[in-house]
Amino acid sequence: MGKWRVGVDSGGTFTDVCMFDETEGRVKIWKVSSTPDDPSRGIAQGVEEGMRVHGGATDAPLKEIGYFGHGTTVATNALIQHRGAKVGLITTDGFRDLLEIGRQKRPSLYDIFADKPLTLVPRHLRFGVPERLLHTGEVELPLDEAAVRGAAEAMKAEGVEAVAICFLYAFINAAHEKRAKEIVAEILPEAFLCTSHEIAPEFREFERLSTATVNAYLGPLMHRYIHRLSLRLDELGLKSAPHLTQSNGGVASFEAAADAPVRTVLSGPSTGVVAAEALGNQAGFPDIITFDMGGTSSDVALMTGGATSQANEAVVHGYPIKAPMLDIHTVGAGGGSIARIDTGGFLKVGPQSAGADPGPVCYGKGNAEPTVTDANIALQVLNPTHILGGRMEVHRDLAMEAIGKMADGLGMGVMETAQGIISVVTANMARAIRVISVQRGYDPRDYVLMAFGGAGPLHAVRLAQELDMTRVLVPRTPGTLCAMGLLLTDLRASFPVTRLTPLVAESIPAIQTALDEVVAKAGAWFEAEGISETARRVILTIDVRYEGQNYELSVPVGPGAFDLDSLAQLIAGFEAEHERLYGFTAEGEKINAVTFRAEALGLVEKAQLPERPLGDAAASAAVIGAREIWFPETGAFTESPIYDREKLLPGMEFAGPAVVEQMDTTTLVPPGVAARVDAFENLILDLA
Amino acid sequence: MTRLEKPAGDRPATLDPITVEVIGSALSSIVDETGEALVRASYSTNIKERRDCSTALFDREGRTLCQAEHIPIHLGSFIEFVPKVLELHDIDGMQPGDVFIGNDAYMGGGTHLPDIVLAEPIFVDGALAAWTVNLAHHSDFADRGHEHIYQEGLRIPPIRLYRAGKLQKDVQDLVLLNCQVPRERLSDLRAQMAANRVGVQRFQGLCAKHGVGTVLAAGDELLDYAERKMRAGIAQLPDGTYSFEDVFDGIDIDEPMPLKVTVKIEGETMDLDFDAPPQVRAGINMTMTALLATVYYIVKSVVDPTILPNSGLSRPLTVSAPKGSILNCAHPAPVNGRVQTCQRVADLVLGALAKAVPDRAMACTNSACTVAVFAGTRESGPEKGNLWVYLETIGGGGGARRGADGLDGIHVHATNTSNLPVEALELEYPLVLTRYELVDGSAGEGTWRGGMGLRRVYRATEDCRVSVDIARTESRSWGLLGGGEGGGSHFTATNDSFKRGDGLMKAGDVLEVVSPGGGGYGPLPVELAAADSTSGDRATAMASLAGEVAIVLANGRQLRCRADLPEAELARLIRAVEAA
Repeated sequence: MGKWRVGVDSGGTFTDVCMFDETEGRVKIWKVSSTPDDPSRGIAQGVEEGMRVHGGATDAPLKEIGYFGHGTTVATNALIQHRGAKVGLITTDGFRDLLEIGRQKRPSLYDIFADKPLTLVPRHLRFGVPERLLHTGEVELPLDEAAVRGAAEAMKAEGVEAVAICFLYAFINAAHEKRAKEIVAEILPEAFLCTSHEIAPEFREFERLSTATVNAYLGPLMHRYIHRLSLRLDELGLKSAPHLTQSNGGVASFEAAADAPVRTVLSGPSTGVVAAEALGNQAGFPDIITFDMGGTSSDVALMTGGATSQANEAVVHGYPIKAPMLDIHTVGAGGGSIARIDTGGFLKVGPQSAGADPGPVCYGKGNAEPTVTDANIALQVLNPTHILGGRMEVHRDLAMEAIGKMADGLGMGVMETAQGIISVVTANMARAIRVISVQRGYDPRDYVLMAFGGAGPLHAVRLAQELDMTRVLVPRTPGTLCAMGLLLTDLRASFPVTRLTPLVAESIPAIQTALDEVVAKAGAWFEAEGISETARRVILTIDVRYEGQNYELSVPVGPGAFDLDSLAQLIAGFEAEHERLYGFTAEGEKINAVTFRAEALGLVEKAQLPERPLGDAAASAAVIGAREIWFPETGAFTESPIYDREKLLPGMEFAGPAVVEQMDTTTLVPPGVAARVDAFENLILDLA
Repeated sequence: MTRLEKPAGDRPATLDPITVEVIGSALSSIVDETGEALVRASYSTNIKERRDCSTALFDREGRTLCQAEHIPIHLGSFIEFVPKVLELHDIDGMQPGDVFIGNDAYMGGGTHLPDIVLAEPIFVDGALAAWTVNLAHHSDFADRGHEHIYQEGLRIPPIRLYRAGKLQKDVQDLVLLNCQVPRERLSDLRAQMAANRVGVQRFQGLCAKHGVGTVLAAGDELLDYAERKMRAGIAQLPDGTYSFEDVFDGIDIDEPMPLKVTVKIEGETMDLDFDAPPQVRAGINMTMTALLATVYYIVKSVVDPTILPNSGLSRPLTVSAPKGSILNCAHPAPVNGRVQTCQRVADLVLGALAKAVPDRAMACTNSACTVAVFAGTRESGPEKGNLWVYLETIGGGGGARRGADGLDGIHVHATNTSNLPVEALELEYPLVLTRYELVDGSAGEGTWRGGMGLRRVYRATEDCRVSVDIARTESRSWGLLGGGEGGGSHFTATNDSFKRGDGLMKAGDVLEVVSPGGGGYGPLPVELAAADSTSGDRATAMASLAGEVAIVLANGRQLRCRADLPEAELARLIRAVEAA
């Protein structure tokens, strides 16, 4: 095996290649422009160049790579831009419109012009076929095979590329879906087929149907993409099996990812969170809220006890998806978010964004509406003449002029208005964090805020103050954390089975059977992925609720035989969680298990980031200048030192007011905040 | 109403708009969070899956500070509840942990009896600072009469369910004994308690951070802010007097009843004057608060949907309707099915506003809230012998808009509840759902077509009683600017016991309920109907085109014909038209 571990994060603008040299313990980054028409080209180019420049490779440049991980936005973008396949749907007769009806709620309560997300299968390609199971799984009406055949022929005539098959109760009895799939495969041998019981064998038909449909919609595209990328990597001499990140933060083999593209729709943001998880654990902070702020939006996630919260279902770009994913919440607040005074005279920021072109007012490309970045330029929190490590010139006078107009409208000072823009966008982001913390029963004050992305470190302290959090962590390379995450993650897959079971002693054999079933599925996956015995881990959880409730709480169960003790622990665990979340337990109510899950982990050897000794050098050695920054604490411009992140060494300490500049971001350290560099070169800010 | 002292705490002389915005954002978080707590901890399908509940924060004076985006009609109960509590109870006697319960349409600010409100005063620094309030539609009081409110269920005035944190068990026992499914009621009440607990803690936390004076001052500012936005929005509408008429028709009344609104827009204010027949001995009457909630909802939607849903928005509006009419009913008028009338009223106002700003309104929605309630006695299982009640509301077509077709199969206007998944319904109740689909030909035709109605077909597996409430049975939802009418509503049952909407289903009986479609916008231009499959979907949706396609020929002429025409026949027709 080669000595290099390589992670490639392919985004809309740049493709970041993160290379870790296992023998020397050093991380190298190589950045190339993305090639959106065929992202595999930019990836191959980036890896090849990176390995030639940093790895000294010559012929077969990728042969020294022992591990290759990749995060992609191909599936997400296809879903957002509606560039997926022409899909046909086969479902239970009488229910073909369910895909469009959904939960029958309108998309916006008050906006009569709001539309539902585009239905991915038009009505004439949705076929109901006679068949019916009862809620027990018993067949009431056998599958009408001729009707399936007829539907498949009609889809063939229409040139359908993919077919989703979803019948009622297929999560209990999959026989009809299996048979229908066989028939469709005979007639449409080239088509991508997806049955609901394979992709999401869980209760609630609409969400299951939606998941199967999105998977079919993305399948052909993802197959083609992975095929092209594999060929290019082969040509360049890659010997190890490549991996792709999924929404759950784990990686899967290329083959598995191609069959279940719906599990990769959050591939992009999840890798950053995985890196944050690894860095947080390493730095001794197991309880972290991640804050990834870019140009148009911010992603936040919560990690408790070293593990990021997972969700088993989410609505992604308007489509409900049942798949294991990191519980990442996105809000339309970024550096490019536009500030406006609305008709009621209040200042609003976002979700409209000036994007990269024309970009903020200070770019001088014609936008006249101030953005969050303009506010930071006006306050001189950002370098008022050049940003992006000096590569881009900015015009503070234009930003001041635009904010000045706004200040007149509000009857406030210019600098107060600039700070006001920051306060409002901070409040928007705080709301997003409350969703993933207080709304789930976690107090943000118990967490460290880890800031990354181009704009995260700039706003982190303000956000922490809004939420009464007392500590902020800024990792060494906040701009390329996603690529780094690819080197720090395990193979991961989740195997659920829904079996409504009362939690009583008589159910122990049934519970054991369900657990055995998911463990067996995990075992088969280990075999298929070629994971060695020693690298296999299985985490079992059971989704539990009081009888009559409809939202379950996931409770972990230990390995080994399920017995009376395990049952008692399960019930106690459920009650404790219910008490924590809702403030009460319903004594005397029956408790049911709903879904049994095995989370299978194939441990991969991860990049070990080196720990460096804490020195006693003074931080003043890292000061490269000073500028006047306006702080609301003083209500005036204050001379503040500028630190160069490259020169900040482990053990250095300093206090705000200050800013820390580095190529990919700027960190704001307001007055009263203490900063230090830890052994892993993280910047730790204490608000106290 | 009780005069209130200004609360303790330093109130800043002026508050900058940024601080107000930041606190407003936090208040929105609080009502969202209490709503989520209510849904997640609840038991009944009506709350946990269908989310038929709302949460809000009120200031000391009983004005809405912030309402979560759940169900607009629930604002009707909210508007009057806290003022009623303040009217009936001595504020000095209130203590932390007091919880008031109530539902009455005449003594408790409610709009119908199943909507049970729980309100809890929030104390900060020993003084009452605000209220956390939530409402859950308890799916109970089923199979009752609707000739006057005394038949419709238990009337609960605003009284204490908890006093200083201690449950008043005698009150609870009285309530539960009057309910058909007491276990569900008790569990949902617990969830309502849990939600209020969250509201109290979060609001106190907010005050600890910013100071109670600042939070309360920001609350006042937020009301002013909503008012300013409403005024600014109305100012953009052309001044004038716009009238619109429609009828209300439904399964519970014999003759369609005329309804009229006259909307007068003058500068920054809007006056809405309704005319309606006297109240009737059927559950379609609306209390004034239901009328107000409906008007606030639809005016906000047309004027500016981004206005904060607080009571400031109502200040530039005046609303009147004859006392004792179906739109402003008096004791003891029955009100259980008032949402049907609310829907019609929302469309009535929409019709008037469309005359002022046709680009910003839409054609008539399905104008109904189609309801089916099933009730019976469990014949098997652990619950054997207990009563069960299952309520569902069925969406319908939305109105077509300039630039977009109406939405298909959705809830409109005053309501917005989810459906119950089939796989949950059949697990919990002795019913099998055999069809749930869009209704062909139900969309009003137009440049932009109306939304399609829904069909739901049920089969009973045990005997039960059913109550179907449908509207637009005679009349149709109107189109705008030349758009066509939507399809109507009806139900069919295999059991012949039905009188109006009430009847019996024996095991094996089938019931089909069809909801109305929405109106179209603009005339149907022939050239829009091109001959591909997607426009085939369009054609199927519209009654006038059902089963037809239109083909634009090479010479620009158009051919309309049956969609299932054999190819040879089609070719012959094309040749004939091209030759002509």
